[in-house]
Amino acid sequence: MESRSEQFKNDIFEISAEAGDARSGVLQIGDTKLSTPNLLPVVNFYAGGTDASLYGGGIHRTIKEFMNGDEVVNGGDYSRYFDGVMTSVASLTDYGISRERYEDYISAPIRERDVFDFDGTLFLDSGGFKFLGDRTLDGSDFEVEVDQKAIVEIQRRLGGDVLVNLDHPIAPDDDYPTRVEKARLTAENVDEFLDLTSRDDTRYLTLHGYNYSMLDTFLTEVEKVIGRDRVHREFDGVALGSLVPLKDNKGKLITAVSDCREVLSDWGFEELPLHILGISSSAIPLLAAVGADTFDSSSYIHSAINGKYDTSLYNSEPVDDVDFTECDCQVCSDDMLVRRMKGDAEYQKDKLGAVAMHNLIIQKEEIKRIQSAIQSPGDDALISYIEQSLGREKSMQQHAHRVVNESLGGYF
Amino acid sequence: MSTTKIPQVNEVNEFLEIASDFEDPLEVIRESLSNSYDAGATEVEITIRDRPIGSEIVIEDDGEGMDHADLESFFDLGNSTKRGRQNGSIGYKGHGTKIFYKSEEVLVNTTKNGLNLRAQMEQPWEKLNNRTMPEYVLNEEAVKEGNSGTHIRITGFKSGHGFSPTSLTYNKIEHYLKWKTLAGSTGHFFTDDFREMEITVILGDEIDDTRDRLVMNNKLEFPTEQREPGEGQFSESRMCKHYPPRELIVETENGDTTTVEVVGMVGGKDARNELPTYGKHSAQFGVWLAKDHIKVERVNDTISHDNEFLHFFFIANCQDLELSANREKIRNKSSPVYQAIVEELSHYLSKIASDPWFKDYLSHRRKAKLTRRAESQQSSIEKREQRIHERNRFTPSNDAEVVLGLERSNRFGAEPEISVEDYDPSAEVNALVRQDTNLYASSIHRQLTDHFEADKPLESVDKIICWSYGDRDDLSELERSGYHSGEISIDFENDRLIYNNGRRDNIHIVTVQDRL
Repeated sequence: MESRSEQFKNDIFEISAEAGDARSGVLQIGDTKLSTPNLLPVVNFYAGGTDASLYGGGIHRTIKEFMNGDEVVNGGDYSRYFDGVMTSVASLTDYGISRERYEDYISAPIRERDVFDFDGTLFLDSGGFKFLGDRTLDGSDFEVEVDQKAIVEIQRRLGGDVLVNLDHPIAPDDDYPTRVEKARLTAENVDEFLDLTSRDDTRYLTLHGYNYSMLDTFLTEVEKVIGRDRVHREFDGVALGSLVPLKDNKGKLITAVSDCREVLSDWGFEELPLHILGISSSAIPLLAAVGADTFDSSSYIHSAINGKYDTSLYNSEPVDDVDFTECDCQVCSDDMLVRRMKGDAEYQKDKLGAVAMHNLIIQKEEIKRIQSAIQSPGDDALISYIEQSLGREKSMQQHAHRVVNESLGGYF
Repeated sequence: MSTTKIPQVNEVNEFLEIASDFEDPLEVIRESLSNSYDAGATEVEITIRDRPIGSEIVIEDDGEGMDHADLESFFDLGNSTKRGRQNGSIGYKGHGTKIFYKSEEVLVNTTKNGLNLRAQMEQPWEKLNNRTMPEYVLNEEAVKEGNSGTHIRITGFKSGHGFSPTSLTYNKIEHYLKWKTLAGSTGHFFTDDFREMEITVILGDEIDDTRDRLVMNNKLEFPTEQREPGEGQFSESRMCKHYPPRELIVETENGDTTTVEVVGMVGGKDARNELPTYGKHSAQFGVWLAKDHIKVERVNDTISHDNEFLHFFFIANCQDLELSANREKIRNKSSPVYQAIVEELSHYLSKIASDPWFKDYLSHRRKAKLTRRAESQQSSIEKREQRIHERNRFTPSNDAEVVLGLERSNRFGAEPEISVEDYDPSAEVNALVRQDTNLYASSIHRQLTDHFEADKPLESVDKIICWSYGDRDDLSELERSGYHSGEISIDFENDRLIYNNGRRDNIHIVTVQDRL
């Protein structure tokens, strides 16, 4: 990666079009380019992703077979749906692996491994979300104390393009002192994170809060610990976290993201790309409209595991009821994969893995439409997109109108 | 052997049936206006008089007049020469004019293309009721070309009960015409070549002598916009925003399409009052479905119920709606097209309801209400202050003030000190108090008698804390008749209440007023 230490930060993100608060552009990190807004599928590189785990890994393995275009999934090229990928340190701590396996797994950057044919942008989350609900990131199986230092080590060795500090997410019922304390703990990690990394790395600062005041308090705490200068000079992007518990409350998600954009603007971070951790599906158009740039989610896999075949961002059908001729995506156009989705598969992962890939394509195609609506001159294309998609879903209508009114100048 | 039979129609009964649907002389005017408009009139004059021989309604227009065929369809049932949707006519069923049969005489004098026709029908209603078909006498005469038009006189219209022409006023007619007929058309919002028609109504002085005549056009016009709140207590009341005409293309589930032309406003009460409404606001506002740009029925469930329909006034016109003979109802409600229209309207109105201006209007409305409440609070505070000035000493007016009185008595050194440790106004035993080091279950009331009125138990109570005993006779009655199947005796000297219900409870009565 070319050294950028002499340059002012923020040069990884070039905004090429705006519609209201929504924006479209390109994230260029090293040799990778990612157009925004975009969705990064969460890919678990560990499960079924080593030479040793030839048969393990379940659906995660199938996803990587699609990513690689392996013959076992009929050899199609799906790499365009993996132009950016999110993975998390937590995908290691979730498995009771030994020190040896751990060392082996982190021994080479993901992009350089033979078992993967991946050349997209790799976001590497810290896995801090595991701290929610009194859980921890437990590395005792492989004899590693999972602290900020270890996280950066793992992120580095796996070759992450975007590194995220170890954070302490908030929960909806946290009171003020708890949130401030979590911000302080996160800030201490941030301080260390900055020491352990350099300007050659692409670093995202995690923020946690559901509205302007919470986010402002969070940033203030971070600033107290690491100093004004570092807050302002060191980061290439912002990752807004803690929203997963609110995922079914679209109104709160919109408030969190639009307030986040406002806070960032007031703090002088307007140009930084904004990533929304762990939120996808039907929230994508709403949040993109109020200024989110990237999303990540594993919902495409989770839906598939629950037997849900997505027919749009908002609707799904039980996979066993689906008429596959109605979808012209790459998976549903492949007879072999259709047979598997119909149940003609040796392993459940072969059936559901194909469904997951289909679900991902549904989301990725939709985000393309959003990109193109933002890129059309004026705001009308995006207004019309939102009205014709979300606006026609009864449960989404009020949220669709809200973002049109708040971000795009309204209908009247 | 097989025979073919044709079902018969009892013509007289059909005429009776259709004409019976109409009762209000205003409906005569409505039908006449539609006919005049369809005849291309630019001016129509309606005169209504109450004469000793009965009411008389005269309609005169400068339209193209009627020829033989037109006149036949005027009197025939279900035989309209108008082409309906094809040529933009309002009437095409051949029902409307049958309202004229409900009278003692119908006289039509009309000129078209140099031919004057004069038709006279006598006692149509009486004859129909005697099961005979009324006839009309027709005279014709050639006249100079160029003076077309129609003059209709209805004598002795049989209005229904409560619809007598004498109950009409100019004001009532104006509102009716603007609200219920083509005089309130929204067509002008949607076309540049809208045909205007001047409508004049003259009421005999015996009906309304407040003015000579009423002249109006055939356009519904909204009150002027006022997007900002005004002054005073009801600042939101004149706020008003127009929502410009929109054509919504509606696709039905079977692939047909239709167009809904919607236009409207949102406004406060004062703004709405500037409209010529016909009836209560609750019965008039919301969303109207219209045909020929004349309002027919409301579909207020297209506005989500958290938004009161009262603020909205929208007219959604669609020519694919089908109406009942008297135009009061939509007939094709179970059709896919109706369902699709309603769905599209709901969607459109959800955008209005989410318009920031509307939210702003509601918020002004709420603020004005809060301000009014604050003002009334202020006056109530003043009254309460006055009561404090007028009284000699602290006197509680509710239970909580008794608690405050008790605390005040402690502060002023009353013995023994009794402090409230826990107070739950909704609990039967509503307080726990501390005296010395012990806690006592207590019932706190303004008066001792309140405890009994509230039907509260005595078994679990150590103390009853009250401002005063209350009506001693009421207490004596309790001693006489007992309480909750037990016996009561009160020792006023020692502030004790003895309750005997199998078990003997000795309850301490604390009268706070004696501690202050």
